Amino acid sequence: MAAETSMTTARARPRARREPLLDWMVLPTLLVMAAVVGYPIVYTLVLSVQDYNLLDFSPANYIGAANYAKLFSDPIFWQSLGNTAIYTFGSVGVSAFFGLVLALLMENLGGAPFRAIRALLLTPWAVPFVVVAFLFRYMYLQNGGIINAVLLSTGIVDAPVPWLNSATIALPAVMAANIWAMTPFFFLLLSAALSAIPNEVIESARVDRAGTWGMIWHIKLPFLRNPLLISSLLMVISNFNDFAKIWAMTQGGPGYSTSTLVVYVYRLAFESFEFGYASAVGVIWLLMLMVFAWLYMRALRMENR
Amino acid sequence: MNRFDRRGLRFVAAISIAALAAGMAGAASAQDKVTVTFANWASAEGTTRPGIEKVIADFEAANPDIDIVSEAISFSEIARQLVLRARSGNPPDVAQIAGNDTVLLGSTGTLEPLDGFVSEQLAANLKPGADAGLRQGDTLFAFPWNQSPAGFWYNKEIMKKAGLDPNKPPRTIEELNAALEAIKSSQPNVIPLGMDTTNRAFALSSNWPWMQAFGAVPVGEGATGAESAEMKAYLTWMRESAQAGYIDPGRKIGEFRPLAAQGNVAFHWDQVLLKGVIQGANGMSDEDFFNTWGVTTLPTAGGKATTFEGGHQLIMFSGSKNKEAAWKFIEYLATSPDAIANYTTSVNSSLPSIKTTGNAELDASLDTPVFRAFSEEIIPTLAPQPFGPDFAAAATAIMAGVQEAVTGTKPIDEIAASIQQQLPK
Repeated sequence: MAAETSMTTARARPRARREPLLDWMVLPTLLVMAAVVGYPIVYTLVLSVQDYNLLDFSPANYIGAANYAKLFSDPIFWQSLGNTAIYTFGSVGVSAFFGLVLALLMENLGGAPFRAIRALLLTPWAVPFVVVAFLFRYMYLQNGGIINAVLLSTGIVDAPVPWLNSATIALPAVMAANIWAMTPFFFLLLSAALSAIPNEVIESARVDRAGTWGMIWHIKLPFLRNPLLISSLLMVISNFNDFAKIWAMTQGGPGYSTSTLVVYVYRLAFESFEFGYASAVGVIWLLMLMVFAWLYMRALRMENR
Repeated sequence: MNRFDRRGLRFVAAISIAALAAGMAGAASAQDKVTVTFANWASAEGTTRPGIEKVIADFEAANPDIDIVSEAISFSEIARQLVLRARSGNPPDVAQIAGNDTVLLGSTGTLEPLDGFVSEQLAANLKPGADAGLRQGDTLFAFPWNQSPAGFWYNKEIMKKAGLDPNKPPRTIEELNAALEAIKSSQPNVIPLGMDTTNRAFALSSNWPWMQAFGAVPVGEGATGAESAEMKAYLTWMRESAQAGYIDPGRKIGEFRPLAAQGNVAFHWDQVLLKGVIQGANGMSDEDFFNTWGVTTLPTAGGKATTFEGGHQLIMFSGSKNKEAAWKFIEYLATSPDAIANYTTSVNSSLPSIKTTGNAELDASLDTPVFRAFSEEIIPTLAPQPFGPDFAAAATAIMAGVQEAVTGTKPIDEIAASIQQQLPK
């Protein structure tokens, strides 16, 4: 019966594809997408080849690839790009690892207390990003912050640590806040993936006397590979665009030590009002995001197969 | 039943006609009313909201033909929003603005020249220099609402505890360093010096007098650049102060104010409004405040003592359809005794931009030790800053350099060279 239904669906699909009316039904969606996605992208491309300052009400000048040429010799752009890579891949990698460890630890724990712990572990994900940023900002304060207060009172440090005020440790400090907020996402997703592993597979491994590590390494991790890949790519895209946390905690400082591409574009566009140059940086940023989006789509297709 | 229906119908008809008539009268009255939109941050901040709302209500009561629509926008967002709105052709009629943002907006050419509205009497009543920096050529593009220059505040109680003479605030950077050291060693939990080291145009404005105290002029007219010996001396002093724990890097000026109210900041480079904020936070009486806090000019090291004008201005957009009403509102905010008493000198704790308010009692209330120190000692040191579009770009570069000096280990020469490279050519 199931096979018959499947064959009917398989036969029905090509016929549906040949129905022109169904093709036309995507037109409204395409029009909306063209207006809200296509137009801004095209306009950004146009702006990126112009000398366009928002404060200058005279018409913008076409300057060809000059903004792109400037970009390649702009040290702040490269520093921001490097910071973006460290922030994105560092945060996603560490969060995914912690999420995986937590999911494996909590996998077989049942009962009310563990359900409560599980719910508690998920709460950071429910906290709005701006609240996370301010929470950590005040905890990190050099004078009066709770982290320094604890470190000083326990004698671990002699002097307050300038968490967000040191060019060398500000980026890891911001990443720590991001990791705290993002780990529950991986925990949730990987817990769901773990529960989807067929019992027969687990039982067979047990019959074959697989130990804990063997079970994790040879049975569970291969099952988790695709969900981990897809969720990581999704988080890479999300973190690549992360503005709220960095802006609320450091505004890209001290100096440019925590400035990411999105913070740099914001400063160029809305503090210097250099829309032309900001658009050129935006185009590069968009191209990189498109690569990640393409990888994500590929991973999804692999998962479906 | 029929009779009841008819009576009911008549009643409904009568009500409808009355409602229609009332509606038409209301519409006619609304048509006579002029609406003035007012973009401001005063109504976005908890401490100033009640004051500005009262002033607006008083103005509307005195001018029943004018309706003020207040649009609350935060201080840090207002310039961006006004530029974007001016660009897209829907600016407000009137806006509150300050510092570099005023000149930025002026440079767009979207502001209404105000000279034609200012009467001779009002022009004569403006304090000397109140409109400095608000003219492009001879054209007045912004009207001074209030004055709020920065002063060097000192906490006499903390100075006493550190063994310093509370009536002799430091006059030179050398004296300041000695005082900071005494305070740090006697009261380790007190922040010896509060100053804004964030990366924004306001922070450059606030730090500009410190740079001038060392004789540095990184950009603008007579600039000696970021690699001058004076600029390096300033950056070096900032680094040494941070390393000694005298300054607390990364805080906005406003974040020091609650700490100052708790008696945890010894010296503080802040505007005249600090008095109002401290009293609002800790309920200190005027007498206690004057016994605890004093204010004077900035200590210097080879340069001269200057200050910056942190007061607020009012601008009118040339696209306004109700210019007369908009000007009436601007004039009321800046000069009416009610507005000065209920907002300028009270919740905003700043000075009016006019010499006399016409109200003897109000004028007498301005004769306090703090207002006197500002009027007689500090305001004469006001020095214009090279505001404009380049100032905003320079602010990012210079303040990023200041942050690197204060928080990193990169050699000062390299930082100065990096700032210079980023400064607008």
